[in-house]
Amino acid sequence: MKDPYQVLGVPESASDDEIKRAYRELARKYHPDNYQNNPLADLAEEKMKEINAAYEEITKRRANGYAPNSRAASPGGTYYETRYDSSYNASPNLQQIRRHIQAGNLTEAEALLNRYPDHNAEWYFLRGVIRYQRGWMDDAKSDYRRACQMDPGNTEYRQALHYMEHGPARTYSPYGSFGTDLCCASMCANACLNPGCVCPLICCY
Amino acid sequence: MFGYVRPPLDGLPDAETDRFRRAYCGLCHTLSRRGAVARWVLNYDFTLLAILLSDGDGPTDTRRCAVHPLRARPCMAPSGAMELAADESLILAYWQLRDHVDDNSGVKRVPFRAASGALRDAYRRAAAARPEFDRHVQAQLNILRRLERARCKSLDAPADAFAVLLRDAARDVEPLARRRVLEQIFYHLGRWVYLVDAADDLRRDALSGDYNPVALRYRLPDGLWTPDARRDFAVTLDHSVHHMAAAFELWDFGPWRPLLERIFYAGLFQIGRAVLDGTYHKPRK
Repeated sequence: MKDPYQVLGVPESASDDEIKRAYRELARKYHPDNYQNNPLADLAEEKMKEINAAYEEITKRRANGYAPNSRAASPGGTYYETRYDSSYNASPNLQQIRRHIQAGNLTEAEALLNRYPDHNAEWYFLRGVIRYQRGWMDDAKSDYRRACQMDPGNTEYRQALHYMEHGPARTYSPYGSFGTDLCCASMCANACLNPGCVCPLICCY
Repeated sequence: MFGYVRPPLDGLPDAETDRFRRAYCGLCHTLSRRGAVARWVLNYDFTLLAILLSDGDGPTDTRRCAVHPLRARPCMAPSGAMELAADESLILAYWQLRDHVDDNSGVKRVPFRAASGALRDAYRRAAAARPEFDRHVQAQLNILRRLERARCKSLDAPADAFAVLLRDAARDVEPLARRRVLEQIFYHLGRWVYLVDAADDLRRDALSGDYNPVALRYRLPDGLWTPDARRDFAVTLDHSVHHMAAAFELWDFGPWRPLLERIFYAGLFQIGRAVLDGTYHKPRK
């Protein structure tokens, strides 16, 4: 195992608060939300595990030999990691396509999708996910929109469309804001007024 | 197409600025291996390519050149990564010029034909060293040309053709994790560059009637942004920058981290905003 202090980027003399701050900064950077449907999500997950292990190791060492058995015993707890919600109600073939997407086999997933006859809401959603992972952002958004039109009550589809329409403004940035049109006074005036919308547009914090 | 990546050096410590200059001068000297005229293709975009392909900043040489004849300047010594970046830059620049020759007619094509002719020998040497990359660039530019001639209305299809072209610059990188990170960065950098270039040409293309995917996608026949189109386009750029930044965080770029962090979290946004505002002035080189 790598030196846990090196993993968190802090000296051994760092205070508990400094360690916690460094850990939270890294956890925010590599959080699964930041890599959702990203083709490099597996690398981010490895990073996240390394950071969690380093933080737990330091916490354990500083507790004078006391080794907590549960994550809840660590000060602040650790972030975690599950990326995919498997509780959806999909037909067997579409589940298979989801598994290929999760494994990064986009070509196989696309081939199966093209052979699938029923172009229902989930079909459009999954095609949107494949297009997103390939970098076809505009076409992915069209597919998510179509999925939402066909199944307006589906939270997963709505969240995906919301993300595509409002952008990754909430993502990690060392400078606070993230966006071509953010971080200026005009953007504050353009804050989203959609009821129930959680898009941040927090350019001035 | 190139000329949109400018490192935001203001506010960076002198050590970081000097490091970037060493890379810029190092790439210039490495390009000259293929002939003095090869130095013409030097720009910031290709310097970023060299930095991303480099493993650390490596040993430093001190050299004089035509621009700095009196005082020798420190520069990165030639390395495998620098040579790769220099050859790929030459191949990209040459085919870009040939593309302009094909796209223009009459007197308009004369400067592009002259420049590509001058660069031909240097290009041939680079292509002989990197034949697969050369073939790939030609294939992708052919796809792009077909889409443009068909006046493709999709934003993603032509952007993908250019993005895949740039992604291939990482084809020989090892290990696999680093290659995956660089491929992701290059793909989205290519997508971002293609779209920003199209946005920058919006007004000009509206006047000339030339193909512009942004104008077709958002139905902007006069080349003027509507608020909704501008917002939507900015978001699609942001998605690509997000993918670049997220990939950047997954590899240790060593001494280049402060500069790259500024580019991926601030510099690209500044340029994108300037292009959308119509205040961006592309460098002549």
